[in-house]
Amino acid sequence: MTIARALPLLSLILLAACSADPVPGPTEQIIVREPGDAAVETAVATPEADPELALIAAGKAAFANCSACHAIVADAANGVGPTLYGMIGKPAGAVDGFAYSDALNASGIIWTAAELDAFIANPAAKIPGTTMVAGALAEPEQRRAVIAYIESLSAS
Amino acid sequence: MSDAETMADSPKKKGKWTRRAFIGAGVVAGGALVVGVAVRPGNPIDRLSPMLANGQDEQLLNAWVKVGADNVVTAVIPHVEMGQGVYTALAQMLADEMDADWATVRILEAPADKKYVSDSIGRDFLFPDLEVPEIFEPTVAGGILELAQAMGLQFTGGSFSVRATGQRAMRTAGAAAREMLIAAAASEWNVPATEITTENSMLSHAKSGKSEPFAKFATAAAEQSLPAKPKLKSPENYKLMGKPLARHDIPEKVDGSAVFGIDANVPGMKYAAVKAAPVVGATVASMDASAAKAMPGVLQILNMGDFVAVVADGYWQAQQALNTIDTQYSKTEGDDLNLDGLFARYDSYLNDAGDDGGDIETEEGDVADAFVRATTKVEAEYKVPFLAHATMEPMNCTAWVRDGKCDVWSGHQAPVNARQAAADAAGLDFEDVTYHNAYLGGGFGRRSEKDNIEMAVRIAKATGYPVKMIWSREEDTMQDHYRPSATSRFQGGLDADGKAVSWSNIHTHLFDPQEAPTVPYYNIANHKIRKVDVPTHLRFGPWRSVDHSQHGFFIESFVDEMAHAAGKDGYAFRRELLAGSDRHLKILDLAAKMSGWDQPLPEKHGRGIAFVPSFGSIIAQVAEVDMSGAKPKVKKIYVAADAGFVVNPDGFIAQMESAIVYGLTATLYGEISIKNGAVQQSNFHDYQMLRINEMPEVEVQIINGDHKRLGGGGEPGLPPLAPAVTNAIFAATGTRIRELPLSKHSFA
Ligand code: HEC
Repeated sequence: MTIARALPLLSLILLAACSADPVPGPTEQIIVREPGDAAVETAVATPEADPELALIAAGKAAFANCSACHAIVADAANGVGPTLYGMIGKPAGAVDGFAYSDALNASGIIWTAAELDAFIANPAAKIPGTTMVAGALAEPEQRRAVIAYIESLSAS
Repeated sequence: MSDAETMADSPKKKGKWTRRAFIGAGVVAGGALVVGVAVRPGNPIDRLSPMLANGQDEQLLNAWVKVGADNVVTAVIPHVEMGQGVYTALAQMLADEMDADWATVRILEAPADKKYVSDSIGRDFLFPDLEVPEIFEPTVAGGILELAQAMGLQFTGGSFSVRATGQRAMRTAGAAAREMLIAAAASEWNVPATEITTENSMLSHAKSGKSEPFAKFATAAAEQSLPAKPKLKSPENYKLMGKPLARHDIPEKVDGSAVFGIDANVPGMKYAAVKAAPVVGATVASMDASAAKAMPGVLQILNMGDFVAVVADGYWQAQQALNTIDTQYSKTEGDDLNLDGLFARYDSYLNDAGDDGGDIETEEGDVADAFVRATTKVEAEYKVPFLAHATMEPMNCTAWVRDGKCDVWSGHQAPVNARQAAADAAGLDFEDVTYHNAYLGGGFGRRSEKDNIEMAVRIAKATGYPVKMIWSREEDTMQDHYRPSATSRFQGGLDADGKAVSWSNIHTHLFDPQEAPTVPYYNIANHKIRKVDVPTHLRFGPWRSVDHSQHGFFIESFVDEMAHAAGKDGYAFRRELLAGSDRHLKILDLAAKMSGWDQPLPEKHGRGIAFVPSFGSIIAQVAEVDMSGAKPKVKKIYVAADAGFVVNPDGFIAQMESAIVYGLTATLYGEISIKNGAVQQSNFHDYQMLRINEMPEVEVQIINGDHKRLGGGGEPGLPPLAPAVTNAIFAATGTRIRELPLSKHSFA
């Protein structure tokens, strides 16, 4: 055996180790959305094609009734109310670092679409003693839309 | 050492390999007291300790071992685990020499750092037969370390880990650690070192009845001078080496907690799906992403020139959007190439080389003359196709490039190379990249390439946030670095007694190892072996056993054809060719004996034998094949193996079995074909794997023929498989298979 016999594998490794040509960046970069923005941006792109998307889009608009107090992105700072991101399926009072009322903490509710509907229709009736003193939606259609929107940000 | 300061003096860099990073990699080092000394000059502790020992409670014993305050011995392994069991075998070697308590030994993968390369591998690549006088040892070791660093040789492959790193570094480290612990105890107890014994991580002095754990003397051991050449055990004193100890990585692989490259999880991470130009060398001429832009979850669409990427909230969303993108590619020279055309090109190069052209690899005697004078002349041509690696875990890489730094997560066979590739792709210095290696869900050579690392880093550089790039199975199949297809032609001459007198071979390509086409172990007075290099646009890469995978089939098929022409049985003919090489004969005889070579078989059944020494191990296999159905049914494979000394027989047998699964997959089905320059196969429906009902029974027997020179385990089980099977088909049917895979042939 000689050094020469071993060279090809070495040169292979050398090649792998030291190609320092500048590596090209994108020749075309289409930024649809920044990661922080709600994913619904693209979902509403074709609402008329899909009734489900249309409902979510309507819910996004109706969420204006909630947004004064609630954020709806992951790990958002808590406002007057906790972030509603990923709320469907969570137990009541589960957002870290938010000071809930004792009433809500003790409610034992799991936030399904039906439970949400009852709560938003009349928070104080559903959970007597809750500190959510505003934001109730009387319109069933509006509630359905808002819930669909919350749901769309829960699934993933 | 000029770069001693790079790790020790800069707190910024010092923080890079923190203890937490190791724990994060799944290894416990909590509260360990670790002391430091180098194994040899050339591995100075000053340079290494900051990488492994980051707390006041930790110091480094040597490059390869830590001793904790809890008396836990941690083996630091400079190789990656890709299912081959390297962590366990290497830890066994270290722990045995150290007399460490196996029940408490822990394993830690070494960081991807140039200062942590395996100089033992460098030594075996460069000077495989080097026996160094003790006095030169330090210089040689130092010199090789420098060389290995230059090459980024923190490399797992070539079946090298146990025979090089284990044999040279792990054992030496264990023995050195033990001697230093003894010296420390001797001085504390004030007794002669020779009276101190070690067992299960304890030091004892029988006369005085003293007995203490290693940990008690860890700090004092660091003060001891380094043994110049620690005394290694001889095989009769091995306690762990040679035992089928349970694999360290199995429980977490069974319960699902093992972390592979594809499992990387970085906060805020998004997902990328990619599609590269189907013809290598083409670029994206135009891209219509109008549908993709409107699809759910999509964040960015990138035309990277050589590939298109979609970044989305989830992998599925990215892949779905990518599938809608309509891409046109530039024209290349490869566009017109089909597989037939490629083999025709091989033919024309071989024809042009004639009797004397091409590059001579080995030559002895006068082949032309011997062939002319031979009583019987045998000629044959063989072909094998391109093969993909088809690792179970598809190619992937997660990268985050920000603030002049880059973090990369993947499973790679050469972590230092991966780190360098990431640095080049990010336009950063090596020092600014942190490379996090995880388990490899299959390597086979595929994970020694850098394409996936570069692509992920380029994407992440463009987005600015962390991105996990995952290749679809289709992409993985179509964008591999393939095992080269090849054509090989032989001429052999036999004298009147049916003795082989000449052997001439010319074949396309040669990659590695250089000896793959040669047959120095066969007594044939005149031989000449040549190659021609044929240009192709496809990317080639090492594939389990590399060139032995083709040449094992070529050589052992032709030996069988010569045997037949000589009117001799394949086993008897090989015995003649191996006359005088006792170690080789023993293995050939063992395989024949295991198989009951001369016992009758049912009708339409056949036995075939093949013998291929590779990667330092000698292997013979006998295949038993049932040809009574429409397809060959491989019923049993007998394996006789001499790997010098097998450190973990259970692991070694598993490697033989897995080589047979991999080799039989290729023999039966493996073929990557080319149409208009692009790979035609895409997924398991057209690139089939062996099914469980097709798996033959496998019986392995081991001979430990030389405990001083170990052979490899990962690759040598593969090369004899294909020819053993095709020789068995010939024995059963009289049909000689000269082209793989078998699915190309009809046996009805
Ligand atoms: C005036 C501020 C305000 C408005 C407007 C408001 N909320 Fe609330 N919300 C709160 C507060 C405060 C709480 C916490 C209640 C508690 O602890 O009892 C709350 C709690 C909730 C919870 C329970 C969260 C949990 O973690 O269990 C849900 C669900 C909810 N709000 C939905 C809505 C929806 C939907 C809207 C709009 C239709 C809305 N809120 C409008 C203040 C508001």
